[in-house]
Amino acid sequence: MTDEATKESMQTGETMIRLENLSKVFPAQDEPAVDDLSMDIYEGEIVVLVGPSGCGKTTTMKMINRLIEPSSGRIFLQGEDVTKVNSDKLRRRIGYVIQQIGLFPHMTIADNIATVPKMLGWDKERTSQRIDELLETVGMDRSYRDRYPKELSGGQRQRIGVARAMAADPPVLLMDEPFGAIDPITRDRLQDEFLRLQQEIRKTIVFVTHDIDEAIKMGDRIAILKQQSKIAQYDTPEKILTDPADDFVADFIGGGASIKRLSLSSVEDIEPADWPVARLTDGYEHVQEKMRSSEKGYVLLLDVRDRPSRWVGAEDIEHEEVSLEEAGRPAVAIVEANASLYNTLDTMITSYKGSAIVVDGEGRYQGVVDFDTVLEAINAMRPEEQTRDRAKRDVQTGNGGL
Amino acid sequence: MTSEAKSSTGPQGAARLFRYLAMPIFLGLACLALYLYVSAQQLDSIEKRILNTDFLFSRVIEHIQLAVVSTVIVVVLAVTTGILLTRPGTRRVTPVIIGLANIGQAVPSIGLLVLFAITWDFGFWPAIVALVAYSFLSILRNTMVGLQQVDRSTIEAARGMGMTKMAVLFRIELPLAVPIILAGIRTALIINVGTATLATFVDAGGLGTVIDRGIRLGRDLVLVVGSVLTGVLALSIDWLAGVAEDILRPKGL
Repeated sequence: MTDEATKESMQTGETMIRLENLSKVFPAQDEPAVDDLSMDIYEGEIVVLVGPSGCGKTTTMKMINRLIEPSSGRIFLQGEDVTKVNSDKLRRRIGYVIQQIGLFPHMTIADNIATVPKMLGWDKERTSQRIDELLETVGMDRSYRDRYPKELSGGQRQRIGVARAMAADPPVLLMDEPFGAIDPITRDRLQDEFLRLQQEIRKTIVFVTHDIDEAIKMGDRIAILKQQSKIAQYDTPEKILTDPADDFVADFIGGGASIKRLSLSSVEDIEPADWPVARLTDGYEHVQEKMRSSEKGYVLLLDVRDRPSRWVGAEDIEHEEVSLEEAGRPAVAIVEANASLYNTLDTMITSYKGSAIVVDGEGRYQGVVDFDTVLEAINAMRPEEQTRDRAKRDVQTGNGGL
Repeated sequence: MTSEAKSSTGPQGAARLFRYLAMPIFLGLACLALYLYVSAQQLDSIEKRILNTDFLFSRVIEHIQLAVVSTVIVVVLAVTTGILLTRPGTRRVTPVIIGLANIGQAVPSIGLLVLFAITWDFGFWPAIVALVAYSFLSILRNTMVGLQQVDRSTIEAARGMGMTKMAVLFRIELPLAVPIILAGIRTALIINVGTATLATFVDAGGLGTVIDRGIRLGRDLVLVVGSVLTGVLALSIDWLAGVAEDILRPKGL
């Protein structure tokens, strides 16, 4: 069976963790804490286990590295059945970060990070190099090597906790509410940092939290768990927000699901409005021409490097009173293309004309979005709309009749 | 904050040095005063037989042997027991062992000594056994408390990274329990230095002999010398234990 599973995962090359009919009954308890859970976790994705307190999400996670031994069922890691292998050795292959971090207070930061490499028998030089590398990865100075955990702030300790978990470069990280005990501002920053880090390291991450907003932000896929770790829905954040599987999921997501959904799409994903654009160097006549050929009532002027410069209305260019550089209003309300729709909408609401200019990383003009375009995008996200779209597509492709 | 901490090490270091040196200086002065006082007295033959360096030195050595040997034995036994009793699976026997250790400490030490002497033998080893029984609880209790107060999350993190149970015990739990265990050992050592004065009643020697003779022969000077030497010895050992505690405490705590 192990061979078979290995073959299978090699074929697809993507299932990193597979849980098969996993159950846990604690002694002296009638009800199982986890009941017949099966799920696949793919290589390089962040899967968030989220659910109300006592739903068994932490128990589930701790069964993956067998800190809690499953009562029945099987666990596969990279296709290998690890349900019965030596659990200490198994854990050295899996990074582990907990809410309380659990740094060893009597060891220096370097020794803390070196814990697993030492157990794996790395030589001193390799370990030392790795420590420097990891400190840099988590954005901390080398001078922290010889400090003790109590000399660090909460956020710094969390960074070291992550560095320690990654020390031996395990393919899998388990994170149990890693940002739970940190103030909201630092938490937000650490989450962003961690997501950026994940872009580089591409680990397979199982992340436990009770906070649905954190789940939406961090997860490539989210498993919403009911009591006994029964999966209510296991899908991408987008799908869960727009199309909750049942009332439990809808309740758990809570109010404002559509607004939360907006923070998942970036402004790149939507079609910009067709907006008249001219250059500062084009001259008045050209701008007036542009103005007449559009219904928008405003023309956006760009400088020589394609950066948005001025908004001009019809009345601003009726007479050639000032140069184009001073006509109209300065172009503000600019967002970068990777900004979330949530932030874009926020910018638009506070902007003068209810529109936002989209630019690329160098500040060059990409397009303009206004309420109409965003509304269209929001409409497309609504489940009814999606169903209708699907129906339409099905009719077109001839699948509808089946 | 770091710079503040650095700037304050100067005066702090001086204060610590003074704290370390004050006790030895005081004890040295006490011994000197005692020596000068005794030298100035006219000693009779009985007093001369006791108040000479050879005799006193032998008693001091006996006393130190009693205290140190009993403490070493009790440390090995009580720390091991403490470790075993904090492992899961020993929950049932824990109250029994604690109860026994309690009896050992609750029975008056002189009673314990005499009991061992009558039922077994007189001499060094029965005295040692009595001292061990008497000071067992203080180390056992501190070992257990020390191990139990280690943050569960620290242990969980260690286990979660793949440390074996043994590695967690020796690399995490025990180092983190060291300050509390050391405090227990210091207490046991002091108890043993004090109780060893009673060892003379079971023919095990020690400074108790000097005090006992002083009382029985009605020589107050002998009694005073015995008492002062016992006090000086107890304070010296306590001072040494304090220094050891400071040195052995893990950094970072």
